[in-house]
Amino acid sequence: MVLEVTAKDLDSGKVLYKDERTYFEIGLDLDGYMRYGAWQIKEIIDMTLQPLKTQHERFFFLMDKNTRAAEVTVNVYYYISGKKGDLIHQKKFRMDFEEE
Amino acid sequence: MKKGLFFALVFLLWTGVVWSSEEKLTFPSGPIDDFETFVKTYDSKRCMECHEDVYNEWKESYHSRSMVSSIKGIANFFTVGVPKEWEKELNKQEIIKCLDCHLPQIKFATERLAKEIAGYMIDAKLAKGKKKEEAISKLKQLNLSCYGCHNIKVAGTAPGITGHIDPNVIYTSGEGESDAHETEHTPMLARAAFCTQCHGVYIAPDGESTYCNTLSGSYVHNYIGQGGRETCQDCHMKKKNRGHRMPGGHDLEIVKEGIEFQAEARGFRYGVGKWIPAANVEVFLTNKAGHRTPDG
Repeated sequence: MVLEVTAKDLDSGKVLYKDERTYFEIGLDLDGYMRYGAWQIKEIIDMTLQPLKTQHERFFFLMDKNTRAAEVTVNVYYYISGKKGDLIHQKKFRMDFEEE
Repeated sequence: MKKGLFFALVFLLWTGVVWSSEEKLTFPSGPIDDFETFVKTYDSKRCMECHEDVYNEWKESYHSRSMVSSIKGIANFFTVGVPKEWEKELNKQEIIKCLDCHLPQIKFATERLAKEIAGYMIDAKLAKGKKKEEAISKLKQLNLSCYGCHNIKVAGTAPGITGHIDPNVIYTSGEGESDAHETEHTPMLARAAFCTQCHGVYIAPDGESTYCNTLSGSYVHNYIGQGGRETCQDCHMKKKNRGHRMPGGHDLEIVKEGIEFQAEARGFRYGVGKWIPAANVEVFLTNKAGHRTPDG
């Protein structure tokens, strides 16, 4: 699962900022090597979202000084196969920075 | 009078024929060696005549394609894990480490048939053209059928209580009776412990662990331990009448339902005097599922 935050300049379409957080498990064998085979994995590094818990993520970023207006998009993608991510949640924000 | 007696006899004979043709659902207790017989014996279509709604729900589920949906992982185990890494012969004891969940009726396959089925799994991944298509076609006929949960797997959770599982009894969490088969009420089928047999780390009889997914550990320790009280069946079957479709990670509706999303943002002018555009974004993701997300 991936949480992605993107800020775009509304005039030029240029991406001003992009960051993401990924929630997943890493399977390890007994020697600490990352493994994919279910028969090889004996331990996990658990970086998933835990049940009944809220994961709070904080982003702070600066944009080009000439930005007059930006759109910030927060997307949550769910990857079932590891290849194709499905968008499950989205929220957009418009930010204006014109001189007052 | 004689005519009446004649019709009465004909009627009795007719009903006798009909009744005797309505045989009860039976299953063999010994091993099966023939693929077609194996498929027909455990085919969920045998249940469809009386349980059409449930059959149709199950048909939509991943349980109905438990073999074809896992070709890559299982074939890798059969071609790399067992022979190359473990340097073992691919026999029924090794095959069952995957198929005990993906095809529980493998229990009733002979050693030869188990190897034949494993061969289809390997061909479905590695073969080309017609051979590959034929293998996939064979695997489509194999799945976690009604009988897998309502008989074979019942023995796995509490054998001390359930004891010997009668192959001709259909075990159900309900209280109903049926003329078509022997029925026994089994509360275990409505408990999370029943699902955790397969939806968690699988421990084979020889002690080998297989991490297909880790849901059950997360459920027991992180959900129940924090006060969660719903079962697998509550969310994946009872809610929204999901029934035997049992949607999970492949179903976006239930995935969305499990993750509560809240985002807040504020754009501002950063710096005193000279400033540059800045933003602060706060995101809250609450996992409402009874287990870690994602998993597997």
